[in-house]
Amino acid sequence: MSETTPDTDARRIAREARDRVRFEEEALDLADQVYRVARHMVNSREEAEDLVQEAYARAFRSWKQFTPGTNLRAWLLRILTNINIDRGRKLQRTPDMQSLEAGDYYLFEKLEDSGGEITDEERVDERLSQDSIVDALSEVPHDFRDVIVLVDIGDFSYAEAAQILDIPVGTVMSRLHRGRRILKRQLAEEAVADV
Amino acid sequence: MCDCQECEQFLQPYLDRQLTQAEVLEAETHLDECSYCRRAYHFEEKLRMYVRRAASEPMRPELKQKLAALRISL
Repeated sequence: MSETTPDTDARRIAREARDRVRFEEEALDLADQVYRVARHMVNSREEAEDLVQEAYARAFRSWKQFTPGTNLRAWLLRILTNINIDRGRKLQRTPDMQSLEAGDYYLFEKLEDSGGEITDEERVDERLSQDSIVDALSEVPHDFRDVIVLVDIGDFSYAEAAQILDIPVGTVMSRLHRGRRILKRQLAEEAVADV
Repeated sequence: MCDCQECEQFLQPYLDRQLTQAEVLEAETHLDECSYCRRAYHFEEKLRMYVRRAASEPMRPELKQKLAALRISL
């Protein structure tokens, strides 16, 4: 009864082809979001494009390993993160971060000291340029930056970020908090130097 | 009620909704009375949105085409 006949084989092949097309289409629909994260995990647009291409090539080859109904966006990012690590970035020992970190009000204080009170109506871009954000982000050490990019820019939950980076949820949260403080310190140094 | 230094410690977990109810109350009691901390909290909220927007560089259409060309099913 379980023997395969040419007819069931043909059906199986047809079903597999259909599943594969659907998988590829869903993956491509997520490309913008995957790129947005990749762009800030590495330092240049070229590197990010290359990384995304390799991740998609690998994803399309190993599509059967994806469990339908689970989070495809996180699955793609996991592949991308692994390629990025294989390429030799990290596992850099994290240097003494204390020296890079300041209090959570640091940037706010510097901006008010140099340019007066920040009112509720005032827009952030009146004090900080878009370029300064991108530059400051690229100065944040990778371990911290990856978490900021996934959670604050890519909209991943703590649990998803933990899964993608293969670290505990508690580590995601502590890196996120410290990473944001490092980012603000970098911004303060750049922005206030410009004034 | 907490002071400004403690309120600064609460900033991230407050916005991330990671504080206990008692801590939220402590932070908010201080925020009601301290315009400096209130401004700092507002600024942090706006900064988060700005970082998200500023760091969202769209993908070039060329890359999208290259990815589509990697499909095996075509």
